[in-house]
Amino acid sequence: MYSDLLHALPEVFGLTNFFAVIIGVVAGIVVGAMPGLSATMAISVLVPFTFGLEPLVALGLMAGIYNGAMYGGAIPAVLLRIPGTPAAVATTFDGYPMAQKGQGGFALQVAVVSSSIGGIASAFALMLLAPPLSKVTLLFGPSEVFWVAVFGLASIIFLLGGNPIKGLISACFGVFVSVIGSDPIYGNDRFTFGQLELLDGINMVILLVGLYALPPVIDLLETPLKTDGIGKSQLGTEPIWKTLPRMKHFWKTWLRSSFIGIWIGILPGAGGSMAAFMSYNEARRASKNPEAWGEGEPEGVAAAETANNADTASALIPALTLGIPGTAVAAVMLGGLLVHGLQPGPMLFRDNPDIVFGFMWQFLFGAILLVLLGGSLATNSFARLLNLPRPLLGSIIIVLMLIGVYSIHGRMFDVYMMLGFGAVGWVMDKLKFPLPPVVLGLILGGFAEENLRLALRIGRGDWMVLFSNVTSLVIVALTVAVIVGPILKKKFARPKTQDAT
Amino acid sequence: MFNSIKYATVIGATLIAGAAMAQDYPEKPIEVIVGYSAGGGTDVMARTAAPFIEKYLGDGASLVVKNVPGASGQIGVTEVANADPDGYTLGTFNLPGMMARTIDREADYSAESFTYLANVVNDPNVIVTSKRSGIETMDQLVEEARANPGAVTVGMSSLGGDDHFMLIKLQNLTESEFTIVPFRGSAPARTALMGGHVAMGILNISEVASFQDDLNVLGIATTERSDFAPDLPTFSEQGYELVNGSMRGFVAPKGLPEDVEAKLVAAFEQLNGDEEFLAAMAATSNPVEVVTGDDFQVLTQELWDLAKAVWDETPWN
Repeated sequence: MYSDLLHALPEVFGLTNFFAVIIGVVAGIVVGAMPGLSATMAISVLVPFTFGLEPLVALGLMAGIYNGAMYGGAIPAVLLRIPGTPAAVATTFDGYPMAQKGQGGFALQVAVVSSSIGGIASAFALMLLAPPLSKVTLLFGPSEVFWVAVFGLASIIFLLGGNPIKGLISACFGVFVSVIGSDPIYGNDRFTFGQLELLDGINMVILLVGLYALPPVIDLLETPLKTDGIGKSQLGTEPIWKTLPRMKHFWKTWLRSSFIGIWIGILPGAGGSMAAFMSYNEARRASKNPEAWGEGEPEGVAAAETANNADTASALIPALTLGIPGTAVAAVMLGGLLVHGLQPGPMLFRDNPDIVFGFMWQFLFGAILLVLLGGSLATNSFARLLNLPRPLLGSIIIVLMLIGVYSIHGRMFDVYMMLGFGAVGWVMDKLKFPLPPVVLGLILGGFAEENLRLALRIGRGDWMVLFSNVTSLVIVALTVAVIVGPILKKKFARPKTQDAT
Repeated sequence: MFNSIKYATVIGATLIAGAAMAQDYPEKPIEVIVGYSAGGGTDVMARTAAPFIEKYLGDGASLVVKNVPGASGQIGVTEVANADPDGYTLGTFNLPGMMARTIDREADYSAESFTYLANVVNDPNVIVTSKRSGIETMDQLVEEARANPGAVTVGMSSLGGDDHFMLIKLQNLTESEFTIVPFRGSAPARTALMGGHVAMGILNISEVASFQDDLNVLGIATTERSDFAPDLPTFSEQGYELVNGSMRGFVAPKGLPEDVEAKLVAAFEQLNGDEEFLAAMAATSNPVEVVTGDDFQVLTQELWDLAKAVWDETPWN
């Protein structure tokens, strides 16, 4: 197998093949940076065209776009508090406060370096460990996956912010949205009001764009003359080699977040946003000064960005070996493989080693190129956007949002729905309801429901099926630890602080 | 008055257009609506077939595939049913799914809404068991299901699809009872089988062809053995009369001008003998079985009857 890996290398460096990766990364950064346009959308637009392309050119473009977009999403997340892609929500937590403090340039550099490291780790996992890691995926049946979703939901606790009641209401809203559409088992309509467009449920991107991008844009338009205090002069952009030493102490976070990202990637269904949330939480728990998080802690940006790139290549492990994509983007890429007659499964590695392993190399090079292409030049040009008059900037973003949402399925219905969510998001923002729990509720609510019901069918109604094996029990234990741990810590820590005062 | 003039003009224009079409069809690109996203099985079939249809229509004909995904293909097929029957809008058609949707929910189309051009793919069902289940033959499976009704869990891609109907046929034939576990799509069902989370699965041959080492494949629901797995015995060889599968083809809106219909059906008919086409379909794991025109319509009616019979007895939602 490893000789196959080396054998595929010369092909990858073929002029057009390598060029495809470069174009992909650049296009990915641009797409990711535009609110409303996501990697999933860019790749689904690309798939029909790939019929006429050589496999490695098509796959190189896709690998590049995926890597580029996962970083590109961080750019508006940091500069405008608008996550460019669903996976960049966690990047706003500390990235935007950093930008307000005049460290926007540094935040973007942390993001690009972390993205690249996560991407490289993930590519290595795909290249070297795909077959054994696909065995891990097999361990996760419906009941195990249900517990993973519960584990993810438990982490909402950390996202509740100052007011837990408001946070829980936000989370419930997200779970409610996940219920809309056809029932995952029987296919009955739920809250669709006879609209065919609602039958497949509400697309994550529509909710995200409305909820996250519209309120900041309204804010831009409401105060047209305000200066942000983060003009180019104060962005704090230094050449990247000068700032690298300041990132050295992130290595633990990079390692931990890469691991989390890879692990979430090989589990079907969860995807980049959950990876970023979880790794942000874990990094904060491990931090010595957790109270600085959310106020502009560079390590928070590092954690989120490492993880959302670390699940890119690893999401392809179950996709290539089992045909089940780990993320929405991997699902679209699977389509791109099928188009070229590359059927997922054990035979794929035997029948088309040059293409499959070439594809893996392209992921690695895409991740490395990210630092070169997404470094100072790209961030500076995007940062310049902030010097535009605020009404102009707001209008540009609205146009991009409309185009992006319309192009998901090519229908106005989605645009109206996005505007509706925008209104909800604006009200929530004004009333200080936290938005991140909505996203987690939407992703994990549906995920938990479907798998719980499948598990119960397998157990023929017996709830004990949820506790019937080791994998489930381990995740249950972890979940309990995550919930109870902080409470206990608080309880035991209290007497000490009282002594001190 | 104005209305009747307008009406007359429209009819006149249609007649002229119809007359022109007879000789010149196609004189502009033909749109093929696929009810699923790009890269899915149906999409790959449409895009693989398109250049061959262009070739057989001749005169620089051009087919443009348009993906209209959503609601399990229902949005796309409804758009086809409502399109102008001028031969410039075709669509893909999945069986038994498209017929089942007219029974289990309100649909804005019916079996009568279409001109039936050709079914192109017939992907037969297979029954597989997980290695962990210890079940290796059909007899063993049936024995187990009869001894412990409902104890055998069956992973499949959805309710109201070909795999569901296959299971109903099996239950009726063998007077046994199984527990259905409908995953979302066949790949998750197959993965759960490989992990031993469900005991048995009903899939299609194209979906298990490259996983035969990881699963016990018990038989195939065809009258003759499939080229995809020549060593795999049919169910009738094993004494179970089970024939079932998932089909994909092409339709146009009802009321297509006769000569246009004839020209299109003739083009689809030629796919059957085209070695290059058959090779391209085999490479994308699409078992080809071309059934054109009236025969395709009869096939659709049969599958509607089957879906209706199953629905009346055991409605699935």
